[in-house]
Amino acid sequence: MRFADFTPFDLVLLAQGLGVSLALFLTTTVAGLLLGLGFAVVHHFRFPFVNPLIVAVTEALKNSPVLVQLFLVFFGIPALMQIRMTPASAAFITLSLNTAAFAFVIIRAGIESIDRDQIDAAEAFGLRRIQILRRVIGPQALAFSIGPIVGILVNQLQVTSLISVIGVFDLTKIGNILNLRTLEPFIVWAVIGSIYYVCAKILAHSGARLERRIRRSYAWGEV
Amino acid sequence: MIRIKDLVKTFDDSTVLDGVTLDVNAGEIVTVLGASGSGKSTLIRCINGLERPSGGTITVDGNDVTTKAGLAASRRISATVFQLFNLYPHMTALGNITLAPVEVLGKSKAEAEEQARALLAKVGLAGHADKYPQQLSGGQRQRVGICRALAMQPRYILLDEVTSALDPETTGEVLDILQKLATEATTMVFVTHEVAFARSISTRIVFMEAGKLLVDMPTEEFFAENGGLAVPRIRQFLSQIRKD
Repeated sequence: MRFADFTPFDLVLLAQGLGVSLALFLTTTVAGLLLGLGFAVVHHFRFPFVNPLIVAVTEALKNSPVLVQLFLVFFGIPALMQIRMTPASAAFITLSLNTAAFAFVIIRAGIESIDRDQIDAAEAFGLRRIQILRRVIGPQALAFSIGPIVGILVNQLQVTSLISVIGVFDLTKIGNILNLRTLEPFIVWAVIGSIYYVCAKILAHSGARLERRIRRSYAWGEV
Repeated sequence: MIRIKDLVKTFDDSTVLDGVTLDVNAGEIVTVLGASGSGKSTLIRCINGLERPSGGTITVDGNDVTTKAGLAASRRISATVFQLFNLYPHMTALGNITLAPVEVLGKSKAEAEEQARALLAKVGLAGHADKYPQQLSGGQRQRVGICRALAMQPRYILLDEVTSALDPETTGEVLDILQKLATEATTMVFVTHEVAFARSISTRIVFMEAGKLLVDMPTEEFFAENGGLAVPRIRQFLSQIRKD
């Protein structure tokens, strides 16, 4: 056996890399969705000065490359503020904010898609704005948003591969290491790509099931 | 009592309500007639606070609806039935009816549901409690809309062209229910085009024209030759309706 051959231990490396990628994906998804939801709720209540700020920040996040954002957080912020930043925290901050920006846009559209008539009725019956958001707008906006959000998350899963460039040992970084050692780029990258593919498919499939469940539990729209 | 004094409502450049003064006493059924665009619906939307008056005052049992506290108090004692039903599509008939009693009046869910089922039975929808609005016909939806208003046990019911979106047959279903309500001494402000029905249930009729109250008369007088019919505009309006 040559030093460069594949070994069973490489499977452990791959599993570790996958674990890092998934952990980062899941934590940034939770943080990003909560933050995006928070942005959308704040935006809905039209606080002065805050709305333009939210829109400006999310627009900037949506319209610039994630890799550039990552460099800004990993290299730029520590330089500016004289603090230390680990690759993992830089990855977490960047991807969470990025997911939040897309979640904000989708949830906001969901909220704004609710027909004015129902809100009139709820207001005329004396419900407060927070009650209207929770009981009338929220459930419908959720059903509207779930499909697009799953779509974004499938994309964000792929985007996690960018963090390998700042030295996080995610699945792509492991691919890089195996590739340098074995000099078998076609095999390595085909395997890495397939792992991402399978994860994305599982995610999309469970998202579609969740969406069907939510829609069925409301039953409206499919009589 | 609902007291409306010198009510003005303008949208951008157009004046929709131009100095309306109207009192509705407890137990009265006041029908508001008038051509489309005369300001009838806007009048209702000002009373329930969905539009903010540009001038004048509205009080419901002394609660000034232009103040936040007054509006909240007024909304607990009055309820609206809408032209396009305005039901919540993601809730069943039962859910539509119980939302405000639970959230606004603080009733328990069980109590609100029991009351809602009784109301649904009263309007002939006993078997439809768990259906969603999309599974109901227009007439059934409006009956749910009426139950939703009644569930608040309101002193005042505001009805905004509640049969305009219905065909003649289902209009009958809804009018039958309103007829029943009328005999139960509920106070109603009834914006409608159903002249014959208005004549049969109202105690008073007001006629609106271009944002002003043209006449305000007891029903009998309104339809009398020397009363409302003596006003050329009303005679013309009623003859047009009869032609239809």
